[in-house]
Amino acid sequence: MLAQPDEMTSQLISKDQALRTQALEKLVREKKIEHFPLISAINQKRLYLYDQQLVTIGEPIAADRSDEYQVLKVYPDTKILRNNQGGVMAKKRAELTEVRFSRPARLILLPVLPYVNLVSPKLETRKLAFVQFQQNGNPEDLKILSDARDLENDNYMSRLATETILSIQLKSSKITEKVHSLVDQLVSNQGDNTAYILEQYLEQIPKSHPSYSYILTQKEDLEDRASRIALIQNAFSGVSLGSILIMIALGLSIIYGLAGVINMAHGEFMMIGAYTTFCVQEIFNSISPNSSGNLSFFLSLPLAFVVAGAFGLLIERLVLRKLYNRPLESLLATWGISLILIQLARSIFGDLTSVSTPFVLSGGWEVIPQLVLPYNRLFIIVMTIVLVALVYFFLYKSNNGLRIRAVTQNRDMSACLGISTAKIDAMTFFIGSGIAGMAGCCITLIGNVVPDMGQTYVVDSFLVVVSGGVGNLFGSVIAGLGIGQLTKALEPIFHAVYGKVIILIVIMIFLQFKPKGLFPAKGRISED
Amino acid sequence: MQIKAVFKNYEYLLFLGVFLILLPIGYALDLVSVNTVSLWGRYFCFAIAAISVDILWGYTGVLCMCQAFFFCLGGYGIAMHMLLADKGTGVYGAVIPDFMVWNQVDTLPLFWEPFYSFPLALLTTLLVPLIFAMLFGYFIFRSRLKGVYFAIITQALALAMWLLFLRNETLLGGTNGLTDFKTLLGFDLTTSTTKLSLYLLSCMVLVLVYWGTKKLVNSKFGKVLVAIRDSESRVRYATYRVQNYKLAVFVLAAVIAAIGGMLYVPQTGIITPGRMEVKSSIEMIVWVALGGRGNLKGAVLGTLFVNFLYSIFTSLLPGSWLYVLGILFVVTVLYLDHGLIGLPAQIKSIISNKRTSKL
Repeated sequence: MLAQPDEMTSQLISKDQALRTQALEKLVREKKIEHFPLISAINQKRLYLYDQQLVTIGEPIAADRSDEYQVLKVYPDTKILRNNQGGVMAKKRAELTEVRFSRPARLILLPVLPYVNLVSPKLETRKLAFVQFQQNGNPEDLKILSDARDLENDNYMSRLATETILSIQLKSSKITEKVHSLVDQLVSNQGDNTAYILEQYLEQIPKSHPSYSYILTQKEDLEDRASRIALIQNAFSGVSLGSILIMIALGLSIIYGLAGVINMAHGEFMMIGAYTTFCVQEIFNSISPNSSGNLSFFLSLPLAFVVAGAFGLLIERLVLRKLYNRPLESLLATWGISLILIQLARSIFGDLTSVSTPFVLSGGWEVIPQLVLPYNRLFIIVMTIVLVALVYFFLYKSNNGLRIRAVTQNRDMSACLGISTAKIDAMTFFIGSGIAGMAGCCITLIGNVVPDMGQTYVVDSFLVVVSGGVGNLFGSVIAGLGIGQLTKALEPIFHAVYGKVIILIVIMIFLQFKPKGLFPAKGRISED
Repeated sequence: MQIKAVFKNYEYLLFLGVFLILLPIGYALDLVSVNTVSLWGRYFCFAIAAISVDILWGYTGVLCMCQAFFFCLGGYGIAMHMLLADKGTGVYGAVIPDFMVWNQVDTLPLFWEPFYSFPLALLTTLLVPLIFAMLFGYFIFRSRLKGVYFAIITQALALAMWLLFLRNETLLGGTNGLTDFKTLLGFDLTTSTTKLSLYLLSCMVLVLVYWGTKKLVNSKFGKVLVAIRDSESRVRYATYRVQNYKLAVFVLAAVIAAIGGMLYVPQTGIITPGRMEVKSSIEMIVWVALGGRGNLKGAVLGTLFVNFLYSIFTSLLPGSWLYVLGILFVVTVLYLDHGLIGLPAQIKSIISNKRTSKL
């Protein structure tokens, strides 16, 4: 048995044009927030009749079923319709009866259209709508705005809504005490645009206004706070860039220290790690298209280590083993290898691929309002700390680490004492390249995967190794953080390119005083 | 006696015979196209740059990864002169080069002024790399940066300069570089005669540079350079001022590379920052390594060989060139210690070793 349609519904779907117009006019007159989804559906020509209820269609039900949509009931209340099993109902457009309105009929809705976006299901649309009201809202909008604010349960959005309401109240209020309290409320609300709103208000009122100086100090405080936050954000991105450099420099530095080999193909191990991540994601997507990407990303971390490590091992066995302690020759040979690897990646994968950020790492940690630290960058920093700690414990606390350090100091003597140097070399290459692979896996979180991605980082990492002292773990960490910080600190002042030139000059001056880097290798064997 | 000396140097006669006599005659008889002639002219410019790499790396043991940058400094200098000399002939008919019109620059920047007259442009183009190399080299060699450290710093320099030249604010054409040259000293660059003359000029400059550097490396100065390569500390203990020798050869190499670039640009008709990328510098090193490091003949041979291969592979098997180049790098480093030029001797010694081991 069909449910009886209510009055509004029956008017809207009736054949009588006058009745429909009347219904629309009623909607406009009442201007009720509950009706906005309905008005929005009419305006977007997405109003349908299903089971005697007015509905609209929402998002497609799934990426591979793009012609089937969720069904949203829009009147008298808003909810997603469910099927008999309790799941989300999926309908094709053809299964619903469209309720059409002529263009003149839709034009009746014009006065309320600015409001309907305030309750849009999309966050970005709502955000834009509120910001528009901050610009040109009137006191008569306050009722709807505060209703819209009550519907928000997102922290950020309710701050924005409050800010909007307060800014409209501020613009229209004349009493000094009221202005004071409104400004205080605005400031304590900590919205994004508060400083701008205050600035605009200051332009409206005369300088003789009793609260002018008060608002001015409040505004300046806010601007100070904003610049402090920008500073922290910048320092944070410096640390995150530094961590990437450290991750790459770590393997580079160990390998150079041990074997005297400059590995120009190190950046390409990073690229291999990134493509491993990409492949794992593609495999997971082909098995279950709706996966969030969490599992595939965290599985690809160790996998990237193994694959890149295996490549490193292979290259050590085939080529580099003949070039120990001939750094310049090894530099040329590994450059050749890097050319081959880049071209290989290009012919297999094409020029541009990207890895989607896993669900748990999207978004950011809002430390205080306006200061948001993205989870993916936090993850990279944490990952670097873990890796550095692991490498430290491996090198300085384990037996194999002891052997690596022994071979680094004196290869012949270590061999005499029964250390299998070939085995140690192989192990070191595996670990060094593997770490680069993990770095590549992490970099997929913040950038595209391209065949020559390694080249962008490898020169910088070389500078890290050189200024940290070749073969020194802590030198690399400090130099990496320093160069990362410096890069990001110079970026807002100069363009990134000039920043790079300045960094080079700074490093050159630094090497005037410390030609062997921060922590040079001790001993007399280093000279020829 | 005289005849014996001539026969001893048959490679020189072969080189001069092929490139100064046979190729022009072939062109005159229409057997060789003017583009082929021009192509070899460009290879000679690369060979000049390769000689500069060889006196640095092969003789002094200083692996410099920014020679392509000095090469480009020379190229940009002559390109700036050609653009200014052709003033008013651009698409917009403006006094300033076309790219400045696109970038809304209306007056010629001050540093472009010296490039109006040819002698002054020539002087500036040689002085800029000289001064740059002197300043950079002074600080680097003073702090006794050598080996890997030097290679990495020069590589970073090449990267930074490349990024700088890519920008439009440096007023050197940005990514597109400088192009659309019409005349050089009044000669139309599109005519075959000019192309042939430029080819002959490049060939002669190459011979001159080769002869000069040969004299240099055989002089006492050259012996010190080789000594520095083989053991820097011992040379220093013998009270030689190592950094001064290194600086001198570094500056000389920069200027030679710039000369190569100056001859190169009129023949290609374009210079872009892509020429000064890190990888171009490293490619120059591989020419030398493949030809035979520490041997000027090897540097020229390696350059001509690799570039010849390049033109063959890019036309026959596009996309395969990077594989070939990569394999060339690896094989050269692993198996060809003395390059192609040392290959006969290497084979001979392998054979004789086998013979001795049999006995």
